[in-house]
Amino acid sequence: MTRYFAAHQFGLAALVLWSVATNAADWTGDLAPIGSQDWNAARAAHLLERAGFGGTPDEIAAYAAMTPQAAVRRLVYHGSVPNELPAFDHSGAHDPGLEPFPPSRPAATDLAKKTGESLGVKVKAAGNRRLQPVADRFFYWLRASRLETHRLAYWWANRMLVTQRPLEEKMALFWHGHFATSEEKVRDYRKMLRQLELFQDKGTGSFRELLIGVAQDPAMLAFLDAAVNVKGAPNENFAREIMELFTMGVGNYTETDIREAARAFTGWNFVGLNFVISPEKHDGSVKTVLGRSGPFDGVAVIDVILAHPVTAEYIAGKIYRYFVREEISPALRKKLGAQLRESNYQVAPLLEAIFLSRDFYSAASVGTRIKPPVELVVSTYRKMGLREIPGVPDFNEVTEALGQKLFYPPTVAGWAHGRNWITPGLLLARGNFVYDTVFPDINFLPPDRYPGNDYQIAAVSEKLAMGLDVTTATKPDAKEMTSMSMQMADRDEDFNTRLASFRGWQLAIQKVKPIPRATAQLDLTGIVRAAGCRTAQQAADVLLARFLSVPVDAATRAQIGKFLEGELGTGDVVAAGTFLEEPLRATLHLILSLPEYQLG
Amino acid sequence: MKPTIHLSTKSWTRREVLRACLCGAGVGALHGTPLVFSQALAAGAAASNRILVILELSGGNDGLNTLVPYGDDAYYRHRPRIGIRAEKLRKIDERFGFNPGMAGFEGLYKDGRMAVMHGCGYAQPSFSHFTSMAYWHTGAPNSGEETGWVGRLADAIDPKPTPNFIVNIDEAQSLAVSARNHVPVVFDDPERFGRKGLYQTRPLLDRVSDAPQDGNASRRYLLEVARSAREASQLVRDAWAKYKTPVDYGIVPVDLPKIASLIAAGMPTRLYYTSYRHNAFDTHVQQPDLHQRLLTYVSDAVAGFMKDMQRIGRADDVVMLVFSEFGRRVPENTSLGTDHGTANHMYLVGKPAKGGHYGAPPKLDALDKGDNLVYTTDFRRVYASVIEGWLGYRDTHKLLSGKFEAFPVFA
Repeated sequence: MTRYFAAHQFGLAALVLWSVATNAADWTGDLAPIGSQDWNAARAAHLLERAGFGGTPDEIAAYAAMTPQAAVRRLVYHGSVPNELPAFDHSGAHDPGLEPFPPSRPAATDLAKKTGESLGVKVKAAGNRRLQPVADRFFYWLRASRLETHRLAYWWANRMLVTQRPLEEKMALFWHGHFATSEEKVRDYRKMLRQLELFQDKGTGSFRELLIGVAQDPAMLAFLDAAVNVKGAPNENFAREIMELFTMGVGNYTETDIREAARAFTGWNFVGLNFVISPEKHDGSVKTVLGRSGPFDGVAVIDVILAHPVTAEYIAGKIYRYFVREEISPALRKKLGAQLRESNYQVAPLLEAIFLSRDFYSAASVGTRIKPPVELVVSTYRKMGLREIPGVPDFNEVTEALGQKLFYPPTVAGWAHGRNWITPGLLLARGNFVYDTVFPDINFLPPDRYPGNDYQIAAVSEKLAMGLDVTTATKPDAKEMTSMSMQMADRDEDFNTRLASFRGWQLAIQKVKPIPRATAQLDLTGIVRAAGCRTAQQAADVLLARFLSVPVDAATRAQIGKFLEGELGTGDVVAAGTFLEEPLRATLHLILSLPEYQLG
Repeated sequence: MKPTIHLSTKSWTRREVLRACLCGAGVGALHGTPLVFSQALAAGAAASNRILVILELSGGNDGLNTLVPYGDDAYYRHRPRIGIRAEKLRKIDERFGFNPGMAGFEGLYKDGRMAVMHGCGYAQPSFSHFTSMAYWHTGAPNSGEETGWVGRLADAIDPKPTPNFIVNIDEAQSLAVSARNHVPVVFDDPERFGRKGLYQTRPLLDRVSDAPQDGNASRRYLLEVARSAREASQLVRDAWAKYKTPVDYGIVPVDLPKIASLIAAGMPTRLYYTSYRHNAFDTHVQQPDLHQRLLTYVSDAVAGFMKDMQRIGRADDVVMLVFSEFGRRVPENTSLGTDHGTANHMYLVGKPAKGGHYGAPPKLDALDKGDNLVYTTDFRRVYASVIEGWLGYRDTHKLLSGKFEAFPVFA
């Protein structure tokens, strides 16, 4: 068994080199399916890289042993693959008194001033800062929802790591970037979870069903101000983004189309976690959208948009660019769009066609994609053989530093693509993520317990504990206070904002469960042993083959082998067996810092 | 999303978007045309210590509620609920007053350090954040241009090219700084802009191999960026560590202290780009409180930055350009907010700027059929004003693919 793995892993490196070298350049743009005679481990690895989050050598071998049709079918039609994973474990941070959550802190405190109560909390009858409990509760929910969203990200990342249906999670990730909403504005982790479940359930099914689901999804409705889109006063935000970003792209509709479509969506809203239509707020009169007229409601407008030829091409093109490569010819786009439209907007057959195509395995497509941050992190952990996302470093801090924090896309257009993931700062951050994983920081402070420098509340906490009065305790540290914003934050009338921010945090961490802080349970020694390595160069080669999708040049390969040998004080890996782990980790840090590692 | 382009490549989104808006015209003249800079530096040499800082307010800042034309009744007729009453404003003359939150801007204007350019926009305006912002970034509306105006400017005035000439502070590279010959230094947190690694791994970590000729363009790009990162990160971190200021930038400094730290450390950078991110100014609903807060932050930050420049003795060398990708619709909507609009102000701030009003304010009683302002100044005139008047580069015709008359903002 050991010898098989050894041969297999050494061979993998050679195979990757070989297949890249002999890949027919004329496979570019060829949608004909790859034949079984052309199926091998390198191509299975490529498939797992793109249709999921990368494969371990065992997984690659298993898929290589299937026919390409069977391999692709297993990934795309994953519904029948057993997949027992735990549901999200809520902390219980929410309660009905928080609904409906006011749009701003002034709105919350104004409501309390008017009615004597807000957010399920009463105004103090007498004494100083009578609205403080309301302000505290407002910030409690903001903080608690954010902390719970971070836990949600952990839950999802863990699924990506261990799921038997990698494409289910990968498509959910794709849709999350396409139908982008951010908890920053939505301010309710439960809505983000509900939306994620929609992407997981319907991500490879009917695009029509998915689109309608998204248009009626509370997170999206909240994010795009659907609530204020009412009869007589249509708000364009929702309609604009549906047409511009979600279905057609700029240039395929007019401003009038947007205004008309907005009217069709009037009255669409949510209460709690449920979609509701308020008939009295809905404009039921005739609208003209994209040349069609009728008393359309939102679903009807969606059908008008789907009937437009550009929509299928836009969606198919975007899927192609995400899974294959950035450059797509207009002809290919048309072909894929036609395929999507003719299958009645079923996404799975399109994916199957793409993953089976020779174009997918062409030189232009293999090893040329810059891995987006979440995929980089998860696939790194997978290839390390981890079964749990480490708590150190913090997954959300890492992905945020790399530019892609789950549930917090920067705008409704989602995240960057391709080269936009790489700047000097971001490239260094990718290497640092690896360092922080293999050499966990002993000074690590869990961000779900330590607020850092947020809102300067760490100082507030200490000063209150020392017995200072609230006004003194919340005064920012001595600095020229000439800015208006600093001065405004310090007015101490019905409530103190900085105190509320501190209290909100304090209340939130009492409720929200802490994220477990295990470090990466990494056993590189075991990996190298199981591969039967005897020399430092062999160990380096095993790691290179396991992690890289693009071969490095001979000089770099030799230098890495030499580095490991230098660290061990010997080229004999067996003799160095009792102290192998740290040198291997340093070597892995080197390998995963290579620019080549960013490609998948 | 921050669409970006490096060298001759392009982000699909950008190309898709720009292509879609060709409006029947031929592909933009700059596409694929090599830029020639032989006579570029005639007047530029003298301006070699001058710095331009660009601050982008993303989301479409509502100009009408930023610098309020309180002297015009039409303003109040269009905005019965969100119009700001004259007595609340920070008046700068009998016609205009700044939003109540903008003590900093008021001070700068009254000190003669702020030029207000009115009615800035362009023909066939786009109401899409991403498309319109791309036009401002490329300086080439309704064309297929793929490099940024700041990038082309760098290529023009610094043909060498000098490393670290452009600094872009953001989570991703802005299209505005995409250049053919420069790799912009892009980072977000200066403290984390550095490579962790054990002592013995440093030589290999810092080694950047030459790109093999295997047609893998992504790999070549990665190697170029790796080189730039290696050169810039130490400088940036050292500058930040050395930098101490008593100046109060307010609650949201908009990355201006990071820029100040680099200027204070004497970086060779001449072009800085940063933004108030994530379409923060997209105030469709409940605008008044939120917008005033945002403006307060910006005003505090810019005023703080100018004060800091004074403190380190660079006030004569630094000019800031502030802009947004469009203004907002003149009549308020029913959600106490405003929808996407057209023309807007641009601001040129700093001691070298001759303060005052430039350009003609658009007429509030002569809106277009979408209830939007009709622009009076092509925004590229303001670009030309800084390129020619401040940085001393005369050949703006090539850079901006057209002749745009500069305003006399700089002596």
